Amino acid sequence: MAASYWDSTQRRHWQFTKEELASMRQKLEDEDPGLVLMFPLPELRHLNIYFNQQINRLGKRLGARQQAMATAQVYLKRFYSKMEIRRTNPYLVLTTAFYLACKMEECPQHIRLVSQEARSLWPADFQTDAVIRMGECEFFLISEMNSQLIIHQPYRTLTSLQADFNLLPEEVALAWSVINDHYMTDIPLLHPPHTVALTAVLLALVLRPTNVPGQASPAGGATPAAASQGIAAATQALAQAQARQAMAGGNGGANAGAGGSAGPGSRPGTPGMPYPISGTQGANGMLSKKVPDARVGKVQRFAAWLAESTIDIEAMVDCTQELISFYQCHEEYNDKHTKEQLNRFVKARGL
Amino acid sequence: MSLTNPPSGATGGPGSVSAGARNQTLKRSVQAAFEDPADRGIGPVGYQSKVRVIDKYKVVGFISSGTYGRVYKALGRQGQTGEFAIKKFKPDKEGEQVSYTGISQSAIREMALCSELSHPNVIKLIEIILEDKCIFMVFEYAEHDLLQIIHHHTQQPRHPIPPTTIKSIMFQLLNGCQYLHTNWVLHRDLKPANIMVTSSGEVKIGDLGLARLFHKPIHSLYGGDKVVVTIWYRAPELLLGSRHYTPAIDMWAVGCIFAELLSLRPIFKGEEAKMDSKKTVPFQRNQMQKIVDIMGLPTKERWELITSTWEYSQIATLQPPLSQPASHHQQHHHYQSQSQGRQSAAAGSQLEKWYYTTINQATSAGGTPSLLSLGPEGYKLLAGLLDYDPEKRLTAAQALQHPFFTTGDKVTANCFEGLKMEYPHRRVSQDDNDIRTSSLPGTKRSGLPDDSIIRPGKRLKEG
Repeated sequence: MAASYWDSTQRRHWQFTKEELASMRQKLEDEDPGLVLMFPLPELRHLNIYFNQQINRLGKRLGARQQAMATAQVYLKRFYSKMEIRRTNPYLVLTTAFYLACKMEECPQHIRLVSQEARSLWPADFQTDAVIRMGECEFFLISEMNSQLIIHQPYRTLTSLQADFNLLPEEVALAWSVINDHYMTDIPLLHPPHTVALTAVLLALVLRPTNVPGQASPAGGATPAAASQGIAAATQALAQAQARQAMAGGNGGANAGAGGSAGPGSRPGTPGMPYPISGTQGANGMLSKKVPDARVGKVQRFAAWLAESTIDIEAMVDCTQELISFYQCHEEYNDKHTKEQLNRFVKARGL
Repeated sequence: MSLTNPPSGATGGPGSVSAGARNQTLKRSVQAAFEDPADRGIGPVGYQSKVRVIDKYKVVGFISSGTYGRVYKALGRQGQTGEFAIKKFKPDKEGEQVSYTGISQSAIREMALCSELSHPNVIKLIEIILEDKCIFMVFEYAEHDLLQIIHHHTQQPRHPIPPTTIKSIMFQLLNGCQYLHTNWVLHRDLKPANIMVTSSGEVKIGDLGLARLFHKPIHSLYGGDKVVVTIWYRAPELLLGSRHYTPAIDMWAVGCIFAELLSLRPIFKGEEAKMDSKKTVPFQRNQMQKIVDIMGLPTKERWELITSTWEYSQIATLQPPLSQPASHHQQHHHYQSQSQGRQSAAAGSQLEKWYYTTINQATSAGGTPSLLSLGPEGYKLLAGLLDYDPEKRLTAAQALQHPFFTTGDKVTANCFEGLKMEYPHRRVSQDDNDIRTSSLPGTKRSGLPDDSIIRPGKRLKEG
């Protein structure tokens, strides 16, 4: 439910395996192969980059919060996992997803205002009856999502981890931007929010030295070489933690039971996080003060914390790979090309 | 017929047709509320529901209406077991042709929250059908609600609700509240009419139309909807415009409901001050005075942060309780409550007197079980729920642990257990002019649209 990711519709109905996701998408394409042939599209992540940019443009003009823009992107993803994109006008869908997300995230915007902004951003797509079309599209969205509109986001977990790992403001900012970036991948449909948050923290810790402090997106900042260095460090840390976690499991899994309730994060405010037993926190906190190279200490401490936890490290490895692969794919993104291919079917089909 | 016309409007003069024929017409017209030909075929071919309400459900009558729309009773047509209550949200626009205008934020909240929630003491959502520009929320049906049960006991001869029933209702109600609150949901409109009871005696919190998540909201909770909770059940901190806006507001309402189960009357039956033309929220003097009449004046001693409430200056203009004997209690803020022997910070609180008078009176009615068995723990629970200070007020979890539930009569899972009588069934009418839905404060929403009132912000350090 609202507090617990574990009981949520997000976990029960909107978390898929890669295979499931692939077959859902294949099924959509198979419904009308002619349509798919006629209107080839760029790879999904490139579409997502484009949608992300459009939602950001709209959101900035309306002064919307990051959280609402993030939720809008999840809505978009869910919707297009059940609806062939070529049957829709993506500008209408993303505008409506944004409008709906704003209501859900308690920063409502008036439908007229949103439609006006959308109209000025994409005049060709919002000529007439913009409000009515958005209203109708809202029914589409809610119906395809089975009214399951509450989205658990990694931001909340990140905020609560900040203190636990003594994260510096620039590390938090970097982790935050990693989370922003993950909405352009399939990760929100594959992994729980706390897995994403922890991966973001890890990446922030290993990528930080290559970035100017305070710099925003690793997508823009990290050089490929630095990124591969980063992934090496991240993978190593995860492998280490995984091995230790397995050993702890072999020793009778003393922590396993304590995970859900006892940890430092069991205070309200960190919903649905499986926490390791407390105690290690204090020890690690002391340790990190003694280690001169605080950053190395932090990665080690993080790995030690993971090892003690019941967190699915396999999932974190996958998240890491998805993210790094996304940053590589981001290099090949061509805005003009993506836009043209989208606009082609929208125009041709009069959507 | 038009969507915005009440179904009953379809008939001619009530006197002009025979009762039978009238009933037939009305039956059709209730069903007609679900099949509206007027709003089909407008605009480009677009959204079509995969499921049609009338294919799946047979509407058997009208239950109630509110600002949101109407509730109908229905049966399944496709072998679904049980009965259903279908809440139909009316589209925003009245009159003319209905078109999509965007769904209200409160409907979105209710849809999203009900889709996530699952607890034996919270009304269960079966499905949501979006069809023809309308939203239909299908819920499990509950035969009774607390308003109805209370009303039944006021019928001559007035007789108290059996203490075991009260205890069970309170326990289940608190259990549902605890579930909502641990899931970061504030109900914000708890009142007898919104507490459902099934025929097997299960209590279900209903109508989450004003509910919302309070977990780290982007805008502070007082930033949006200014007016929540029907006035008689509105917590003092809301009446004073406090910024401390917490689950405690629901707990105050639970306290009011407890009192009403005991006395069969709203304990604080004030009159709502209407908004002025500038849409500023007036101070609810009358309601606050009703609270003070029983609870005494709120003081800094009883409620530490009262001085930081918006309307604090108004406190001085309220009258101390009338029935207060002389000035004796007023001057002794820490007088010892004699029968309880515990320190009552309640300067001039008449609650204890109110409690014992109530349960003694109920006894003298004769024939029905005495409320005396609720004992002193009943008072303590009531006082804990009606604490002026939202931070000291019992939480749902604390209230569930209260000795009230472990002393005296045992708590039963079925609140009707051991009752010889059966409560009358819910009135399901074919007519919309149901007296129960007339705009009494206790039966209807306060009538203010959600998210509509803005009050200039008074800066205050965040708590």
